[in-house]
Amino acid sequence: MKKVIANIIVLSVVLPLILTTINSCGVSEMNEPSELEPVEIREYEGTKLSSVDDFRENSIEGPQYVDVESYQLKLTGLIENPRNYTYEEVINEHQHYKKVITLDCVEGWSVTILWEGVLVRDMLDKSGLLPDAMVVIFHAQDGYTTSLPVDYIIDNDIIMAYKMNDITLPTERGFPFQLVAESKWGYKWIRWITEIELSDDINYRGYWESRGYSNTADLDGSFLE
Amino acid sequence: MKNIAGLDFIKIVVHWLLIIVTVLYLVTGFGITEFRIVETFTFGLLTKSLAFRLHDNLLIPFVILLILHILANILLRRCKVAT
Repeated sequence: MKKVIANIIVLSVVLPLILTTINSCGVSEMNEPSELEPVEIREYEGTKLSSVDDFRENSIEGPQYVDVESYQLKLTGLIENPRNYTYEEVINEHQHYKKVITLDCVEGWSVTILWEGVLVRDMLDKSGLLPDAMVVIFHAQDGYTTSLPVDYIIDNDIIMAYKMNDITLPTERGFPFQLVAESKWGYKWIRWITEIELSDDINYRGYWESRGYSNTADLDGSFLE
Repeated sequence: MKNIAGLDFIKIVVHWLLIIVTVLYLVTGFGITEFRIVETFTFGLLTKSLAFRLHDNLLIPFVILLILHILANILLRRCKVAT
């Protein structure tokens, strides 16, 4: 009988202590908000969006892993002030824009995504375009290249995206930057951009363009020349 | 009897052509979606853009050969039943 009473006394002391400790732990965690993994959005202003996983991997060398710490975006060629940007500088020094645009791949699939990024035009304006500059050549980490006319870039508010569906571009999707070449076939949507070169070579052909793909790449025309 | 021999010959030709076109259709299809692998295996001969062109142009011959393949079988059976 004495043992039972002793056990009850011990329990009545220990149990409240345990409960108080657990409770206080919970309170301290609640006071410090934890960062949750960002989740992509699937609808924007009434438009249903595709998922970042709906893309098919079709890059020439597989996904490129870019180290953001050492990353430099080079702006070269026919501009007054060639410059190397860090990832942060590209994002912090330019106005941000959002737009829902569909990427149509020549393979037959398409994805509708909310893109967020900076205007290539803003970057070009900042560096001062020289009058001879006719073509913007984009270079990627994997050696992929493509080109677009300067007029197209300026007139169409072309975005260089760092976010899609409200999350930072995943590695497979082109981190740190992907070009959003609206109304052009998917091979103009270059990923893992490392250099933007201004050129006067209107006959320049990028990776796929030099392998028989149309250089204009307009969605309303054939992608084969 | 001559008609049946002629039909048999057509059937065999169509049959083999259909096999060739089907294989080419599949390979060029892979040449589009798995271009890195196919380019390596074909020593760079079947590029993605060539695969696109061939794949597009093979659709109509494939459908025609498939129809001929079915018709040849039906006709041959009818002829054999009649004789």
